[in-house]
Order: sequence, then structure tokens, then C-alpha cells
Amino acid sequence: MDDRVTETTAGSPAPSVPVPAASKPSGWSGLLRFVGPLLWCVGLLLPVTLSPAWITVGGIFAIYAIVALSQDIVLGRAGMYDMGHAVYFGVGAYISAILSLTFGWPILWTIPVAVVVSAALGAVLSAPIVKLRGDYLLVVTIGFNAIFVLAMKNNLFGLTGGPDGIFGVSGPSVFGHVFGSQSDLFYLNWVVLALVLWIMRNLDRSALGRTFRYLKYDELAATTLGVNAHRYKVAAFALAAGIAGLAGTLFAMQLSAVSPGSFQFTDSVVLFAIVLVGGQASVPGVLLGTAMMFVVPQIFTDLAQYRYLVFGIAMIVVMVLRPQGIWPARRRGA
Amino acid sequence: MDFILQQFINGLTVGGIYALIALGYTMVYGVLKLINFAHGDLCILGAYIGLTSLTSGAFGGLSTPVLLALSFIIAMIVVAVAGTLLDQLAYKPLRRAHRLSPVVSALGASMLIENGIMLIWGPNVRVFPKDLLPNITWHIGGAYLSFVQLMIMIGAFVLMVALYLFVHHTRLGTAIRAAAIDQDAARLMGINVNRVIALVFIIGPVLGAVGGLFIGLYYRQAYFTMGWSYGLSAFIAAIIGGIGNIPGAMLGGLLLGLFNAFAAGYVSSSWQDAITFALLIAILLVRPSGLLGERVAEKV
Amino acid sequence: MNQTVQPGQAPDGADTLLELDGIGISFGGLRAVDDLSFRVQSGQIVGLIGPNGAGKTTVFNMITGVYQPTDGHIRWHGRELTGMPPHRIAQAGIRRTFQTIRLFADMSVLENVIAGEHLQIRQKWWQGLLNTPAQRREEKDLVDRAMAVLEKMDLAGVAHENATSLPYGAQRRVEMARTLVAGPELVILDEPAAGLNEFESAALNDTIRAIRDTGVTVILVEHDMSVVMNVTDNIVVINFGKKIAEGKPEEIRSNPLVIEAYLGQDDDEDDPLMEAVQEATS
Repeated sequence: MDDRVTETTAGSPAPSVPVPAASKPSGWSGLLRFVGPLLWCVGLLLPVTLSPAWITVGGIFAIYAIVALSQDIVLGRAGMYDMGHAVYFGVGAYISAILSLTFGWPILWTIPVAVVVSAALGAVLSAPIVKLRGDYLLVVTIGFNAIFVLAMKNNLFGLTGGPDGIFGVSGPSVFGHVFGSQSDLFYLNWVVLALVLWIMRNLDRSALGRTFRYLKYDELAATTLGVNAHRYKVAAFALAAGIAGLAGTLFAMQLSAVSPGSFQFTDSVVLFAIVLVGGQASVPGVLLGTAMMFVVPQIFTDLAQYRYLVFGIAMIVVMVLRPQGIWPARRRGA
Repeated sequence: MDFILQQFINGLTVGGIYALIALGYTMVYGVLKLINFAHGDLCILGAYIGLTSLTSGAFGGLSTPVLLALSFIIAMIVVAVAGTLLDQLAYKPLRRAHRLSPVVSALGASMLIENGIMLIWGPNVRVFPKDLLPNITWHIGGAYLSFVQLMIMIGAFVLMVALYLFVHHTRLGTAIRAAAIDQDAARLMGINVNRVIALVFIIGPVLGAVGGLFIGLYYRQAYFTMGWSYGLSAFIAAIIGGIGNIPGAMLGGLLLGLFNAFAAGYVSSSWQDAITFALLIAILLVRPSGLLGERVAEKV
Repeated sequence: MNQTVQPGQAPDGADTLLELDGIGISFGGLRAVDDLSFRVQSGQIVGLIGPNGAGKTTVFNMITGVYQPTDGHIRWHGRELTGMPPHRIAQAGIRRTFQTIRLFADMSVLENVIAGEHLQIRQKWWQGLLNTPAQRREEKDLVDRAMAVLEKMDLAGVAHENATSLPYGAQRRVEMARTLVAGPELVILDEPAAGLNEFESAALNDTIRAIRDTGVTVILVEHDMSVVMNVTDNIVVINFGKKIAEGKPEEIRSNPLVIEAYLGQDDDEDDPLMEAVQEATS
């Protein structure tokens, strides 16, 4: 394209190929468009082909994949250093557990409450802090996480059950039949994962997702185009928190218990690392990172004690050798 | 009054330890703008190395004070080497990388060191031997001051003064300060910034190793997750004083130690940490540059 | 300008679009801009010139909300604009380009221009997340509008290229397209000719006039005299943060204060540099 031409051409011909969707979603190349759903369908067969232990692994993977994708919304897409994301995961889990066990709610009814409360908390906590510089924001989120864990351990309002947490959360019951087996829960988690993946795909193609990207790449330029940075940053947190809360309810059902130990700083660090090591704003990257952290160690159960050691080394190695992540998002534009 | 004095003594002791560890965070952040998440674990490594030196029996025949001094020296050397390796392998390759890469690398290093400690020394609490230090306790007013507390206070004070003199009255120290203010300008002035960074990754860990071993001697125990808990407290102290600011880290450490000591008297310990974090968040929202830090305006 | 002018009224009766009234700002101890006042009438092309470091970009940053003035007022259609954040100023109908070109990296040309349509987007967040038909329709409209602007700027062929991979002159045009797609009332161009050669500068002049002809008012910060002198209706000259002259290009060209500010010496007819300046501005 020779931009030195001073005479204007009579008018560039209209593009002969219909212009595709305004933003090509990252990672969903033509090939993956089919591979993704295909893999998901294969996943549906897991409960009939695998042992119960592996079905559980599959269920756990789905849950953490959902949380990791939500972490990616704040970190990978909106570009904010959130290292306290386990809070929203935990809030969703605790709300579900408390409402169902202490107040006798059917567990399915607790899901919308958990999502809304987590999202609201995300908005409230993020509103005062999104203006902070990256490092400081990171430290504040660590602080929120620590306070949350302490509050849960201290049996807040007498509801949260102390350091051991709350036991006995059952699976969803429909028409009196409780769906509590590992297979049942796996299907539930797998379907919710598909829902979240669909939402992530839509996010990529929507104005909201684009606006997050503007803020990540150049907040100043974005504001001069009319983007209310504060509002959108809080929105990113709220959306991510809501999705994490959803995963939290699944987690409560999966483990039939919630305790503070599942939502600590280390867990937030793992989520943070999954996004960066897997690939920011990359759905396959995040899924891969989740698999590395939650599936691979199950293969080497006799080496379980080395899990964090290996992950720590992997984090360093990946950052040094492949800083864009193992499966980075596709660059936009040709 | 006795109570206050006692808390004061306790607070200064722990505060001195926090200050020694906080200095490592602040010096690295000052020069590299990096939060060295692995620093706390390095300090606890110092405790473990010291413990091993004290209990290995390889130095049988040495009198206790000499053995103690030797264990400090060994701990300092090992941790200095570890700190240097950490920088060379996990941080130096990322000098020019995207801002988040060193953060992830630091977290990975922290996991690596912490779990390495666990694998080598076991997940259980390790106890320090008795009678390493004279069992002397002085009465001051109505409060008690033990030998170990006095040793820690004096040791921390001496090291802090030494560091302050080094940073303000030697060429290398001034080079460190210059690099912390503006790395590129320092380089243009002929300062070998790489050497400055290498030095920072020796001084910080050395001070931290002393702090870690002090923790071990004071509480007579070590466990592998101490790196996280003490590291975080020291990091908060560094932020309170102004991250990147050396006197700030000293001040922040002392203040936090005092705060924890006095709060322990009035508030149950389980909520104490929550208050500390709330304080941290409040500071970051209101005055992120800390007590002594410079307010840096963002240039467009 | 020796006629008495009513506040808010230009001599020819057009409304004052933007008014700077006694604007000032200090950075630490440095008084970067001091008691600056001028008006921009609707449909004008106004140039803001001055030697390096005179404070031009600072003035721009105050108008667009990046900095908050410590003194004075900025008025838009008579309404107070001072101290508003950048996104509200954009809402008011003001757009700007940047001296350093701030396109979104890792995004295509088309996506960058669509970014300019942000304020026109009506889809709700949940419509986006659920990919509703209404949202899809709006997405298509956004693309169509953006492509229309790209065609006008002769960039339609590179619509799907990575924006920052284009040559410099093309990137400037992309940024311009992004600025114009929203149909602003006022466009502020921060050194649009920087890095352009002679041909490109001439094309730029045409572009700026074409912009004005669509009804958009333009303020221009520029060093390149071949652009400023040929395209502007009115010029404001500042030095050390203060206004030293204001008037039509011909008046400014021969204003001794202006010449002194740029060249730092007395007017000298035989100075080859002075002659070059005269030649460039004729």
C-alpha cells in the first residue's frame, strides 16, 4: 500500500469478501473452531470410559478452568494485576454452602445468589483500587485475599465454620433425586464449562471485550475515545468475580465441603500463573495451563510432593524461554 | 506501664527482624522495581542453614559462641549465593521483558525455594537446640529483657547502621542509590548497573539470612512456610516505610513490630493479621508511597 | 484583531465553540502555561505554534482532560469543561490525535477505527455476552461505518493488517480515521505532520481542509510551517507558556515577536535562515 500517492484513487473498491466479525476471537482459528467443541463432546464420554478417580479429576479440571478463565478476564484481557482472585471463588463456594446447609436452600437456588454476590463483591472491592499502579494493585489484592481467609477461619458471623469450614454440601436435587455422584457432578461441571467458554467467545466479539483490550493496551488513548476507564475496570472485576463465584458453587458441590484452605494466597498465585504461563487472553492457553496444574500432577501421583516444586520451576522456565506463554493468543490482524 | 514497656521490648525485637528482612525487599525493588517474592523464603533458608550448622555435629569441639557465629556466617554465605543464583537464573534474563514476567518468575522461585526446603528438611517444625544462648533475663522496670532479645536488637541495629553508612558514605552505596533513582542515567554516568544489581542481591539476602536465623533463635523453631508469613510481614513493613526507600524499610519494620506487639495485647491474634492487612490496604489507597517514599507523579 | 468582540461571539457572528480563558498550570515549581486565552470559532482551522517546549502539548492535554489546569477556565459552547476527565470531554464531541501515534498494538486497522465508535455503541454488556441478534446487527453497523471512513482515507485495502505494522504515514491516517469516525465537532491534531515528507504534508493539508469542509472544527499544533501557514484561518503563538501573538497567517509571518521567539535574534533580512523561513511560508 503506497501511502506516498498524493492523488486519491477514484474510490477503493468495496471489499469483495464479506468483512468477517469485527474482532477475530483469539485462539479460535479456523481449525480450533471445530476441535474445541469436538474435544468437549469427547469429554462427555469420560464418565463411561474412566475410573471414578479420573472422573473426579475431570470435574476438578472443569471447575478450575472456569476460575482460571475468569482470572484471565481481569488479568489477560483487562490487564490488571489481580492476585487475590481466589476470594471470589471462595465467596461463591461459601455462599452456596451456607445457604444450603444453614438455611436449607436447595442448592440450585443458591447459584444465582452466589454469582450475584460474588460479582457485587468484585465491584465493591475493585472500585477503590483500580486506579492504583500495577504493583500496588497486586499487593492490595493479596491483602484482600488474606483478610478473606482470616475472616473465614474466624467463623465470621458464626456462619463460616472456622478453619475446618463447612461440611456436607450435597449435589443438586431435581424432583427429589439427588445428583451427587462423581459422574453427575462431572456432567454438571462440564456443561457449565461449555457455557463459560461460550461466554468467553462472545466476550471476545463484543464491545465489552474490545473495551477491555483498549484499556489493557493503552488506557490513555482509550479515554480520549470516550472510554470511562474506571467503570470498565470495575466491570471486568465484577464479571470475573461472578464467573469465579459460579465455579465456587460447583466446587462446594464437588468437594461437598468448603474450607478456607482452598482459597488462599497460593491458590490465587496458581490462577495468576496459569494465565501468564498458559497465555494471556488465550482460551486454549488458559485451559492448557489449568491442565498442567490440575491434571498432570494426577498422572504422577507418587511424585505429588514435588508438585509445587515442579510448577515453580516451570513458571521460571516458561517466563525466561517463552514469555508470551505456552499457547499465546493469536495476533490480531494479518 | 510494665505492660507497655514489655510490649515495647517485644516490638523492637521483632521489629528489628522485620527491618532486616524488609531491607532486602526494598533494595531490590528500588533498583529493579521488582517485588522479590522469593526473598522471604531466602531468609528462612538462612534459618535452616543456621540450624543445620548448629546441629550437624560437624563442628564438634567448638565453643558455643564460636559455633553460633560460624553458623551465622555460613548462613549468610549460602543465602548470598542462593540470592545471586536467583537473580542470574530467574530475573536477569527478564530485565527487558514485559513487566509481569519477573513477577511470575519470582513467584515460581518462591514456590521452588519453599518446597525445596520442605523436601530437604521435611514438612514438620524443626526445633532449635536449647542452651545456645545464655539464659539471662534482665529486669527493666517491671518488664523482662532476655539475652536473645538484646542480641537481636543490637545485631539488627548494628547491621542497619552499617548499611546506612555504606549506602550514604561509600561510592558503591551511592551507586546503588543512583541506580534506584534512574537506572539509565546511572548507566550513562558510568555506573556498572549490573554490578550494582549483583551487589543488591548479596546484601539483601545476607541481611535477610541474619533476620531469618534470628527468627529461628528467638522462637527456637523453623518451619518451611515461615518464609511466606514473615516475608509478607516484612514486605508490608517495607511498603509502610516506602518501598524502595532504605530508611523507610528500617522504620517500617520497627513500626510494624511495635504495632504487632501492642495489638497482640489488645486484639486476638487471629484478627491481628487481618488488621495488619487492612492497614496495608489503607496505606496503599491513601499514601502508596509510604511514610518516607517520594511521591512520583505520572508523566504523560 | 482590533475590533471589539462580544464574549462568545466572533466578528462574523459564528458561535465560539471553544474558549480558553486565563488557563494556567504548574508542574512542581515550573509554570508551564500562564494566563493563556484564545477562542476557536466553529468551522475554523486554528493553529497553535511556538518553539519547542513552549507548552503546546500541555495546552492540548489540558483541553482534552489529561491534565487539570490550576487556573482559568475552558468553555465548550459556553459550558464549563475545565477539570473534566478525558472520557467526558470525548463525550462532549472533542477528539484528538497524539504526537506519538497511539494506535492499539496487536489490533487491526479496522479494529482501531471501530474503537473510535465506542461512544456510539448501544449494545448492553449482557447482549454482548449472549451474542444476541441485536448485538450482531450493531457489530455489522460498526464495521460498515468504520470501513466507510477507511475507504475515504484510502486505507480500506489494509483494513485487516496489524495497525502498527503499517508505514508511519499510514498509521497517522489510521489514527485520523479513528478520530473522525465518531463524527466529532472538534478535532485536535497534535503534530500531524511529524515524520511526513513534502508530498505527505501537502496531502495532509488537503485532508485537514476536507475535514473542515465536513463541518468539523480543527485545532492544530504543528512545527511544519508549510502546513500551518497554508491551512489555518487563525494562529495562536505561545512561548514559555504565554501567548505572544494571535492572528491570521500573514500577520503572524511578519510578527517580530514571533520571529524572535523562533530564531532568538533580531529580524535580519540577509539571514539565509530567515529567507528560508520566508520562502517556506509564502
